[in-house]
Amino acid sequence: MKPALKHFFDSMGAYLARPGPESLERLYSEHPGWDAPRERVALYGDFIRGHVRGALEKVFPLVRGAVGPDAWGALVEGYTLTRPARHHELNHLAEGFPAFLADAAASNGLAPFVPALARFEWTDFAVFTSEAPSPEPVARLTANPTLAVLEHPFRLCAYVRAKGALAKPEAGEEVALVWRHPEQLVTFYVEATPPALLVLKMAVEGLSMEDVAAATGMSVEALRSAVERCARDGLVLRPSASGG
Amino acid sequence: MVTYARRHGLKPLGAGIGLRRSFYEELPRTGRALDWVEIIPENFLTLGGRPQRTLDACAERWPVLPHGVGLDIGGPDALDADYVTRLAALVERVDAPFFSDHLCYSRLDGVYLHDLLPLPFTEAAVEHVVPRVREVMARVGRPFLLENPSYYARMPGGTLSEADFLRHVVEEADCGLLLDVNNVYVNALNHGYDARAFVDALPLERVVQVHLAGHTRYPDVIIDTHGDRVCGDVWSLYRHVLRRTGPVATLIEWDQDIPSLDAVLDEADVARAALREVAGR
Repeated sequence: MKPALKHFFDSMGAYLARPGPESLERLYSEHPGWDAPRERVALYGDFIRGHVRGALEKVFPLVRGAVGPDAWGALVEGYTLTRPARHHELNHLAEGFPAFLADAAASNGLAPFVPALARFEWTDFAVFTSEAPSPEPVARLTANPTLAVLEHPFRLCAYVRAKGALAKPEAGEEVALVWRHPEQLVTFYVEATPPALLVLKMAVEGLSMEDVAAATGMSVEALRSAVERCARDGLVLRPSASGG
Repeated sequence: MVTYARRHGLKPLGAGIGLRRSFYEELPRTGRALDWVEIIPENFLTLGGRPQRTLDACAERWPVLPHGVGLDIGGPDALDADYVTRLAALVERVDAPFFSDHLCYSRLDGVYLHDLLPLPFTEAAVEHVVPRVREVMARVGRPFLLENPSYYARMPGGTLSEADFLRHVVEEADCGLLLDVNNVYVNALNHGYDARAFVDALPLERVVQVHLAGHTRYPDVIIDTHGDRVCGDVWSLYRHVLRRTGPVATLIEWDQDIPSLDAVLDEADVARAALREVAGR
């Protein structure tokens, strides 16, 4: 690359890393005689910051509502300065936001549940767009390949279900299961119940209904009912009836 | 003169629209006329689930043309090998007759800017871009088009006219040209030049596809928002282009304030009528 072109990219890179009036003046000082209107060049700084903000507001609507507009603006600004867009798919820039919030929570006076809520919202998005292939017919009971398991000390499932209408989530340990329904292709999430966890254990470890019934004292009928319910919701995948 | 399309056995495809998320349910089932579908590959390279199912359903009905925004053909960083590998697989999967991206840069120091940033119109930029275009074409193995981007400020150090810059890149790289007619219109107004004279100065024998879109007017600048109907002046400029190129695949691009599918297809119908008109001359 010719030195002049490298200089151009270097100077634009310095500006776009931290767009603002001062960095814009520094950019122009690198290119004496450049007569493009400053407000036109500044559009690019605005666009690029806007893309980060737009992605965060798409993925984290509940976090945004929970922290309020002022704190949200400051958090977006701070996160933007970390230059999080390291992937060619725009929404991936949001992946590091939950960890950023966890680090920033104390100094920004965020409610303790906010980082966990951000992790929940990111997981919701990641599961919805998971590259795990839509399941082919399975030979035996199989856990949904998009399943993610979250543990947190808040009742977030109820909070998310209420779309943030609650003032804050109740405190309390929760294991949340998040997965994409194999036919409907929408995200499901529930607080894990003992029957759901048992069905998942059967799927992961390949346990037979009879063995589990013997080990747990549950009736085979009750187990079958739990498996059917989980399969209907797409949490586990069953072999088709015709396939045995 | 043998056109780029003829050299590569590419036939005019008619009028298409972009596959956008709000159309995922309705588009694959539409009974309306539609000749082809354009996708933004970044929405399908790493995202599974509903986007993939919709893409498969569309690919069963129509030709699918990937039009990227993340190739970073003009940037200083090495081409993103993972991106290009995935792009090649996607092009193969949908059996796209060609694919395209923008003559711009979009990544600096490993950071994706997720915008289409203008290059300086210089010989140095031409020298930088041309081997990258050749590398992409070799790795993907299909004809490739570069789009003339909209831009709001001329970058410093320019020594070439915009039309000469475009011509040098596409001729030296031997790729096709995706002529975004709305971009020509927006750039002409923002930079004070004659849109038709600009079109006439381009290597039109390399135009394989045209984009049409709406824009947003502000007091001091027009922004290429893709957020409105195609305006009358852009339709007029489009017909000026078609009189010189003959029928070429034409896309209605609508990315903001996206209306109903029918409203976008209505615009595609207008483009299709113009294509038929020029084909029947």
